[in-house]
Amino acid sequence: MFVSKSMTKKVITINKDADIFEAKEKMAEHRIRHIPVVTKDYHLIGIVSDRDVRSAMPSKPLSDYNSKKIKDKVARLKIKDIMTIDPVTISPLHTVQDALVLMQNTRVGAFPVVDEQGKLRGIISVRDLLRAFINVMGMEDPGALMCIIVEEKLGQMKKIVDAITEERISFGSIMVARYWDEGKRAVFPYLLTQNITSLKKRFKKMGYEVLDPMKWYIDQLPKDG
Amino acid sequence: MKKTGFLFDERYLLHDTGSYHPETPARLQAVYQGIKEAELLSSLTLIHASLPDLKWIEAVHDKEYIKRFEMACLSGNSTFDCPDNQICQATYETALLAVGGILDATRLVMNAEIDNAFCAVRPPGHHAEINKAMGFCYFNNVAIAARYLQKEWGIKRVGIADFDVHHGNGTQHIFEDDPSIFYYSIHQHPSFAYPGTGREFEEGEGSGLGFTKNSPVLPGKGDSEYKRLIKRDLFPAFESFKPEVIIISCGFDGHVDDDMSDIKLSTEGFSWIIKSLVEMADKYSNKRLISILEGGYSLKRLPELAKNHIEILLNHR
Repeated sequence: MFVSKSMTKKVITINKDADIFEAKEKMAEHRIRHIPVVTKDYHLIGIVSDRDVRSAMPSKPLSDYNSKKIKDKVARLKIKDIMTIDPVTISPLHTVQDALVLMQNTRVGAFPVVDEQGKLRGIISVRDLLRAFINVMGMEDPGALMCIIVEEKLGQMKKIVDAITEERISFGSIMVARYWDEGKRAVFPYLLTQNITSLKKRFKKMGYEVLDPMKWYIDQLPKDG
Repeated sequence: MKKTGFLFDERYLLHDTGSYHPETPARLQAVYQGIKEAELLSSLTLIHASLPDLKWIEAVHDKEYIKRFEMACLSGNSTFDCPDNQICQATYETALLAVGGILDATRLVMNAEIDNAFCAVRPPGHHAEINKAMGFCYFNNVAIAARYLQKEWGIKRVGIADFDVHHGNGTQHIFEDDPSIFYYSIHQHPSFAYPGTGREFEEGEGSGLGFTKNSPVLPGKGDSEYKRLIKRDLFPAFESFKPEVIIISCGFDGHVDDDMSDIKLSTEGFSWIIKSLVEMADKYSNKRLISILEGGYSLKRLPELAKNHIEILLNHR
């Protein structure tokens, strides 16, 4: 689960002396929101985001008023004038979990991935992590999701896995929801089959609650107060 | 009163899925019994299985895939491509006979010998991809019929309506870039049901963009939600597309008594859907409609569902 395996390796970069229109065009062309700013030998010196570019552009009402003066000013702006110096970076040897926690803590949408020599190796964004999450959930393979409520005690998962294995069904993934009723957990096996009917009956026979799909949730926001 | 064809053959029972599989020969017997006991057989043009020209299957599936499927059956394998797909030695031939019967029914409709037809076949087809068997399906019966209509009969616009409770991933993928075939599917929401495709934003690709429409339905919903979504999504789509022929992927597994899904359609709910499609065929397609069985696993409900379907096609109801 290293960042190096999930990051985007072909990074679109920009020079610090480029004008901001170049950044705007690159963002539109490649449909990206972050461009690392690098030296000739690929050392990271900053990052420019779509928000940096937007803030530097005149707003619509202003552009009607005294527009030439403002346009000239914008045209003179360079990437180095608007970029974030010393952005939050991550190492290729950090894990995907590190990236998730860091993203949640810093509220930054993309991290340049930089090696020990300070060279840019890639970029990892919310989009890369989403793709990894879709992959981990097995969503690209056809299958069906179930939800089983179990007591929070040792050995529950074994019984579930054994029952599914005995039905000769393959797993796409299995999730366990952390927030649920006191002393209970929700287990979500994603099964690579169309045929979960007999399995549902089996779980009910084993004394488990097979939850109504309209009551499923995998995450619950912390309660206020 | 309309002229309705009914495709059924005892050879469709030969595809043996073993003792623990829901897609059983008994399903088809239940369908047949329902129609027979209502004394409808004498009002119908009976169609039997036949072997098709392989070129029609090759119009949809890779040659290599067809060969691989044949070999898997003949060499006595018990599953094909994934453990869901239980096969026996007769499965390949049964699948061929299903296609052949469907093409015969389609030809009768095109020759105006019948107005419409219900094809009670096994195995089902709408999950089958160009080169992969999925969800009990091997040959995509509906897709093959659509290609046959295009190539043999020069039909420019085929409308496919799929109300099986599972999304017809195969049919959608085969035609997603084809603007001459409109694929509409209403099914249990893919986050809660097999195969995990058929989300609302899947609307076709390239020149086929806008010619695929999906109405995912949340678990627990039934007749009124189906009516609302079909009126909102299918009615205007076929109104502007004006299909020359309508093909139905007819799955009865959304019935409240069918435990393959959490959808709660009633028997009357199915009648409403089928009636709506027949009315659309009257309006746009010169009555031409071919309904092909997909899923539906409640042996208790299949007889009445099949009987009602036939009566609606005959215009008895």
